[in-house]
Amino acid sequence: MIDPITTIVLITLGGVLVGLGVHFIPVGGAPAAMAQATGVGTGTVQLAAGAGLTGLISAGFMYNELATSTGLTNSNMILVLASGAVGAMIMITVTMFIGQLIYVYGVGVPPVSAKVKKDPITGDVQDIYVSKGTEGHGIPTVSFVSGTIGGLLGGLGGSLIYIQLMNIGGDHTNSGIVALAGIFATGVFYVNSVIASYNIGGTIEGFHDPKFKRVPKAIVSCLIASLLCAIIAVPIMGGVA
Amino acid sequence: MSTAAGGPASGGISPNNVLILGVVGGLAGIYLTTLNLSMNTTIFSFMGGIGAIFAAVWGADAVRRVCSYGLGTGVPSIGMLALGMGIVAAMFGLSLPESDLIALPAAANYLGPIISFITASIMGLIIGIMANKILKMNIPIMEKSMLEIAGAGCLVMIGLSVAIVGDFRFEEGIVPGVITTGYIALVFIGGAMAMLHPFNACLGPDEKQYRTLTVGVEKTALMMVLVGVASLTEIDAVSSALTIVIGLIIFVVYFKKFLEATHHDAYLITGTGLLPTEEELE
Repeated sequence: MIDPITTIVLITLGGVLVGLGVHFIPVGGAPAAMAQATGVGTGTVQLAAGAGLTGLISAGFMYNELATSTGLTNSNMILVLASGAVGAMIMITVTMFIGQLIYVYGVGVPPVSAKVKKDPITGDVQDIYVSKGTEGHGIPTVSFVSGTIGGLLGGLGGSLIYIQLMNIGGDHTNSGIVALAGIFATGVFYVNSVIASYNIGGTIEGFHDPKFKRVPKAIVSCLIASLLCAIIAVPIMGGVA
Repeated sequence: MSTAAGGPASGGISPNNVLILGVVGGLAGIYLTTLNLSMNTTIFSFMGGIGAIFAAVWGADAVRRVCSYGLGTGVPSIGMLALGMGIVAAMFGLSLPESDLIALPAAANYLGPIISFITASIMGLIIGIMANKILKMNIPIMEKSMLEIAGAGCLVMIGLSVAIVGDFRFEEGIVPGVITTGYIALVFIGGAMAMLHPFNACLGPDEKQYRTLTVGVEKTALMMVLVGVASLTEIDAVSSALTIVIGLIIFVVYFKKFLEATHHDAYLITGTGLLPTEEELE
């Protein structure tokens, strides 16, 4: 018998991790699509969901490989979490890398941040390379590293939610339970990434962006929203089993 | 980005009338599919799709009202949020009467959609309050709109699912027919699209309620055709064909209406011809 309180707490933690992870991803939105702002040129939700859902798939694969009729052992759980995190990280880094190729060789702009004078990681000068009238362009090193951390947190959170739902469901060979856990994790993921994106309000470059200081507000909001979802989720998954 | 930032949306049918239309139409469509059970057929499955159209129009209107303030993150995010909340609430509401958690009389089996709807509204309200109080988005109609968007998202999601399987009971209908088969992903993204796309396509200073909502009807009808195709594997071919045909008819009618409205609202419509070829330019 799985303790429902622990499950609810862990699902909530997963939701908060997703909300936190979104803040690390360099999102440029529409301005970045025209190379007028730093980051990848699409919305927060699309980027976070793309990475998060890939993480969910890799976590689901690993879960099916390792799960036995008695559920997961703790060490196996870490493997599933790691699989989800790595899946999401690969997805977000590939997106950033291909975007970077297009910015540099297609649009012809140097990757540069407009929010800091020197890149906090490499120490390269930034401000003199920012084109006039823009807020930076491309994905500078610090944003790339930040995005990878975002993928890690998002994938970790998503797979944590999925593992908990699967554990209550109890039967990993029943495709109904697998699908229900998957779509539920997706729902919780979307709710948290949208709340986080409302907190960001458009664009963010990564953890060096002044907007990153708004993180506590998102954590509180995601905590409440995920708690709500978790309380609802536990009876359903238990009910199906 | 906040291309439509500004004041409240105005004109057309009042928000409360659209709300009544969405709730009553949506729930009526979903509940009319119970005729399937009482008559031992699946021919009434298309009513779920009709209910989804009413609910999606309501959702699209709520999206239109809240997004005209400018969210800063683009319109699609709110559609994803709506279906995210909607799917969690719908699964909870539909499964609750059949679970052993609370002892309900047998007649309560029919309460699923209403429980889902109420749960979604409560979730939406809480997220709306958080958006204004904690995230400080300061959109005056945020609480009400979030409540409406979550409620509509939930009804769209149930309506489209019921159109696939013709039955909203959780264990007998939704789980084997929609969830296990994976059609739930189609319903999720398609339902979100039906709610977010109308305003996303029509936004701008000349946005009009009639034109936006016509896109809403047309888009949901297109979704109805898709779920009709999906339902071929779940219910008999005649019922599926009925869903597809009705969806196609509504789509064609409302797409024409949308074109007319666009022509009516445009300053001038002129044919520019094809781009000149290289020889013609010389």
